[in-house]
This record gives sequence, structure tokens and C-alpha cells, in this order.
Amino acid sequence: MGDSQYSFSLTTFSPSGKLVQIEHALMAVGAGQTSLGIKAANGVVIATEKKLPSILVDESSIQKIQLMTPNIGVVYSGMGPDSRVLVRKSRKQAQQYYRLYKEAIPVTQLVRETATVMQEFTQSGGVRPFGVSLLVAGFDDSGPQLYQVDPSGSYFSWKASAMGKNVSNAKTFLEKRYTEDMELDDAVHTAILTLKEGFEGQISGKNIEIGLIGTDRKFRVLSPAEIDDYLAEVE
Amino acid sequence: MSIFEYNGSALVAMVGKNCFAIASDRRLGVQLQTIATDFRRIYKIHDKLYIGLSGLATDAQTLYQRLVFRHKLYQLREERDMKPETFASLVSALLYEKRFGPYFCQPVIAGLGDDNKPFICTMDSIGAKELAKDFVVAGTASESLYGACESMYKPDMEPEELFETISQALLASVDRDCLSGWGGHVLLVTPTEVQEKALKGRMD
Amino acid sequence: MKLDTSGLETFVPPSRGLNVLPSDFTASPAFDLPGCTDFDGFQKNAVQMVKPAKGTTTLAFIFKEGVIVAADSRASMGGYISSQTVKKIIEINPYMIGTMAGGAADCQFWHRNLGIKCRLHELANKRRISVTGASKLLANILYSYRGMGLSVGTMIAGWDETGPGLYYVDSEGGRLKGKRFSVGSGSPYAYAVLDSGYRFDLSIEEAAELARRAIYHATFRDGASGGVASVYYVGPDGWKKLSGDDVGELHYKYYPVVTSSVEQEMAEAPVA
Repeated sequence: MGDSQYSFSLTTFSPSGKLVQIEHALMAVGAGQTSLGIKAANGVVIATEKKLPSILVDESSIQKIQLMTPNIGVVYSGMGPDSRVLVRKSRKQAQQYYRLYKEAIPVTQLVRETATVMQEFTQSGGVRPFGVSLLVAGFDDSGPQLYQVDPSGSYFSWKASAMGKNVSNAKTFLEKRYTEDMELDDAVHTAILTLKEGFEGQISGKNIEIGLIGTDRKFRVLSPAEIDDYLAEVE
Repeated sequence: MSIFEYNGSALVAMVGKNCFAIASDRRLGVQLQTIATDFRRIYKIHDKLYIGLSGLATDAQTLYQRLVFRHKLYQLREERDMKPETFASLVSALLYEKRFGPYFCQPVIAGLGDDNKPFICTMDSIGAKELAKDFVVAGTASESLYGACESMYKPDMEPEELFETISQALLASVDRDCLSGWGGHVLLVTPTEVQEKALKGRMD
Repeated sequence: MKLDTSGLETFVPPSRGLNVLPSDFTASPAFDLPGCTDFDGFQKNAVQMVKPAKGTTTLAFIFKEGVIVAADSRASMGGYISSQTVKKIIEINPYMIGTMAGGAADCQFWHRNLGIKCRLHELANKRRISVTGASKLLANILYSYRGMGLSVGTMIAGWDETGPGLYYVDSEGGRLKGKRFSVGSGSPYAYAVLDSGYRFDLSIEEAAELARRAIYHATFRDGASGGVASVYYVGPDGWKKLSGDDVGELHYKYYPVVTSSVEQEMAEAPVA
């Protein structure tokens, strides 16, 4: 039996002090497509692979990077449908904050709210944890920010991070390439190069996604054509 | 008699050059009967943010307690003080929550923003905000205050002159109101210091 | 020819008419019924007496030397102070004054009207009208308008052949003879001071100060009273205005600011 003895209810600890459902959720994330984010001096970039199950799927109908507010974007690794729930809840949270204070929600606040939701799903009855990790990129009065939120509800601020299938290679690559004074354009290049490492097949504007936010504080998802331009610069 | 006039009050806030002043009377009455002459209607939210609550005193105190509660939670959560604009929105939201059983208060909010830009605003008892560049008034002496402020106010006053102006406007106005007066409180807030003064006034 | 004025004097007890109630009334610890023949009438008058007249404090009392009459000077419309310099003590003739509470127009008009009637009486009879008579003229007029919305609460004070006289008259038709009255929204406060400080053998100065203090305390507590505390004295030689003190200054005379009234509190605000 082993783990399965303690996996019937996610609110039950195993004798070793683990909540195995959360570990399973992390496994789901680890099996997901690679995503990464880099915080530059003047902005943040997040990027992800967009591998589709079949060449017959219309890739232009899928967008993995989404906006939570005009100045906060998010990307996931893991289960796409789970991420939709989180994005929906987070957007609502952001709007509630705006309605109360007539002021855009700070990135830290939104990340905390999102993480709170994810934590609640590790302690409530009748639910399972989210099978996703999120990378949240935003720019507010405190400057550019990059957060990673995990299924357990824990969250950290990162200079650069990666998650998904290729996490260890990507992180090693980022550790080598990251510099504090990196400009946003350099960060985009580094993001592409990191994705390219361990990318199976030919990388193109259609099978990766890039979202970025600069000092204009408007989060933007690049079009395939724009990505192709960046790819040309990298080559 | 309106419930807003049950206790009597006079409130005014004025903007000066990189500073603001907020002032109120000191009377607490029950209709025409004067109960206390050392009552406070201006409350501190943080060093650079004040709220005056005119109208029914019991509601003013309760509302103030709720606002302090909300502001403290905000401070803990966001590790910063509220901006005056943000606080005004919070007050407005809290007031509208009680749309069909309102707090019988008309708030006056005055504060210094991030860049020490003065902010003043008032709203009705159910949270309709009214922002102003020059001055805002509230309370049973509001009509007199409008007249006094309209004629005495000048833009970009230095703190000393602002204090003189707001004090004269307040004292002149409460002398035309049965339900407010009996002295005054003035708070003068500049980027570096807060001065609080008690005004001597007619005691009738 | 000499006019028979005994009809007027029937209301005046031989002891200069200063006692409204029998002497044993205050002696009894029990809550006796008022010693009067017309209890219903008394009760009605008593109710009239405490009926609030808004926005004023007036008072008058008889003492050894004559009558003291005092009033504030505020006129209000709802919460708004329309004047701080109203003359609420109306001079009817050199020996008689009336006070004003309730509707200003009603009081002013009917006091002037009373002045005319008193002068006509004087011309017709070659002698001044008694306070009793004058107050009765006013009371009768007001009674004839009863229920038509007049609002008058007045005291008629004067000196006549019988000595000092003081009557309370109102638009409900009430007319009371007495030693001590206060009328208006501030009257409870004035009564408190007046009753605690009153003695029949006060000197004129003491009496005037008592009246002034009573008016001052009323203006302090009552939102609708304020302005100037005027004090009049009516003696054998007619009335005389003794003082008119701005209550705003009177307060700081009675209660000087011991320490500096300017409380100052300095706080450092953190530089943003």
C-alpha cells in the first residue's frame, strides 16, 4: 500500500509528515510543459512551451499566458484547466480590491490571494490541490516583480525561475545567464535561449509563448510574428 | 429636526501650499442642550491622514472604530499606510454597505499623498465622494462655512496663513449656528510636522 | 373728582401683593394640592408656564428694591442664528417693560399695541395704568386670538401705585402673577441659577449680577440663547438699563483661562 494508505484523503498526513496529494500535484507540475520567467531591471518576461497534442489543433486558439489585471500576467505549468480556475478567482479578487480602494491591486497582494486559494484546496474537504504552479509577472509601485506559486500555496519572489518538465536544466541555464542589470530585451533573449535548451523539435513563434511587462506597466503577450522577430535576433 | 443635527457639528478642511488644515468645533449637544465643550470629531488615521466625521456622534465614533480596524488590517497586510485617495474609497465603500440604514455621518477626509500632495474630500452619508481642490465643509454650520470659506480662501497659502484663515472661517461660521461652536480644534499638517491647536471661541 | 380704583386693587392682597401662594404652602412637606379655588385653572396655567418658547432666555424677578428684568439677544431660525443683537426687553412706557419670547413679530406688535393702550389709559384717566391692568389688557387680547397661531411668552414688569409688579402672560391665554419667572428655551437653566441665588433682600447690584449670571448660564447650555445679556431694573422712578454684556466676553470673565487655552501638541511626521 505505502503512500496510498494516506492518499484517500488529502487532509491526512502520512507518518513522515507529508501530504502526499500535494506531492502528487507537484509531480503533475513537473510533468507539465516548461515555463520560465526572468525579472529584468526594467520589466519582467515570462515564457512557456506550447506543445500541442496534435498538429491538427489550431495553435492560434490557445493562449497559455493570461492577464490577471492590466499590469499582471501569469503562466502555468501543469494542468491547463486547473489554471483557468485560479485565473478566474484571481481576476475576481483583483476586481474586488479595485472596487474597494479604486486602486490597482499590488502584485504581492494578488499573489498572496491566489496562494491563499491554492492553500485552501490543500486543507478543505471534497477538493483536490491544483495541479499547477504559476509564474506571476507584474509591475507596480514596487517595481518589476516575479513570483512563483506552488500547489501547496507557498510562494516566492524570484529573479528568474523555471518550472515544468525541463526545470532543472532550465534553472541551471538561468543561473549561468542571469545578471542583475539585465534589460528587458536581454531577458527576452535569455528566455528564448533557455526554452531552446531541451526543446524537442524546431522552436518557432507558434510553439512558444512570451509575455512581458515593461515600465509602461502594461502586460502584453507577444504575437507569433513578434516572437519570430526575437528568434531571428537570437540566431 | 434631522438626525444629522441631533448633536451639532462644524467641520472644515482647507488645502494650502504643500500642506492642509482640518478644523472642527468642540461642542457635543443633544438638540439645543450643550452637553460637552471638549468633544473631538477629527480623528487620526496615520501621521498624514485625518478624517473628520460630522453628524450623529455615536455613528461617528462607531464608524471611526471600523475605519481604524480596516486601516490596521491594511497596514499589516500591505506593509504601508493608506494613501488618502485609497482611504476615501474605503470610507465610501463602507458607507455604501449601509445604503438602506446609513451611518448618519458626513465625513471630511484630508491627507498628504505620496509626494506630499494635499488631498481633501467629503462625501454624503452613503458614500458619494466629492473631491475639491480648495476646501470642503460639513456639519450643521456647513452653509455658513461655505460662505466664510468662499470669501476667505486663497490658493497656495503657507501654513501660518492657512491656520489663520481656517480658524477665522470656523469661528465666524459657528457664530451663526446654534448647534456648533463652543471653541474649536485645528490641525495643521505639513510634510514635516503636525500642529494641533485648540481655539478659544464664544461659549454661547 | 377721584376715580375709584378699588376694582383694580381687589386682586392685590394687602401685603403689597407679593405672595401668590398661602404662606403654609412651602411649610408642608407633603405634596398638597395648590391652595387655590380653581384647581383646573391652576393646572392649566402651570402647564402653560412650562410650555417651551423657543430660542430665548428671559427672566424677571421682584425683590426688595423693585424688579429686575434680563434677557439674551439671540434670534434663531431653526439652527441658524439670524441675529445676535435683538432687543428682547421692550420698553412699554417709562415705568413698564415687557420681555419677548416666542414669535418676534407677535411679541413686538402686541407690545407696541399694549403701549398704545397704556398711553390711552393714561390720557383718559390722568394716571398711569397699573401693571395688573396692563398685563390683563394684553392677556385679554391674546386670549381673543387663542388658537389662531400667535406665539407670545412675555413678562410684564413695572412699578405702579401698588409698588413693583410682575406678570407672566402668554398666547395661550395664561396670565400669572409672581415673584420670579423665566421664559424661553433657556429658562430651565436660568431658573436653576435664579432659584439657587435668589433672596428677597438682595441689593440692586446683587440682583443684577444674579440675573446676569442666570442669563449667562442659560446661553452657555442653550444653543438657541446667546449674544448679549441685558439687565434692566425697574424701581420707583421707572426702569433703567443697568448693563449689556457680550456673553462671549462674560464667559472668560466668569471663567478666566488659567493656563494657556492653546493646547499645543507637536508630532514628528516621518518624511515620506
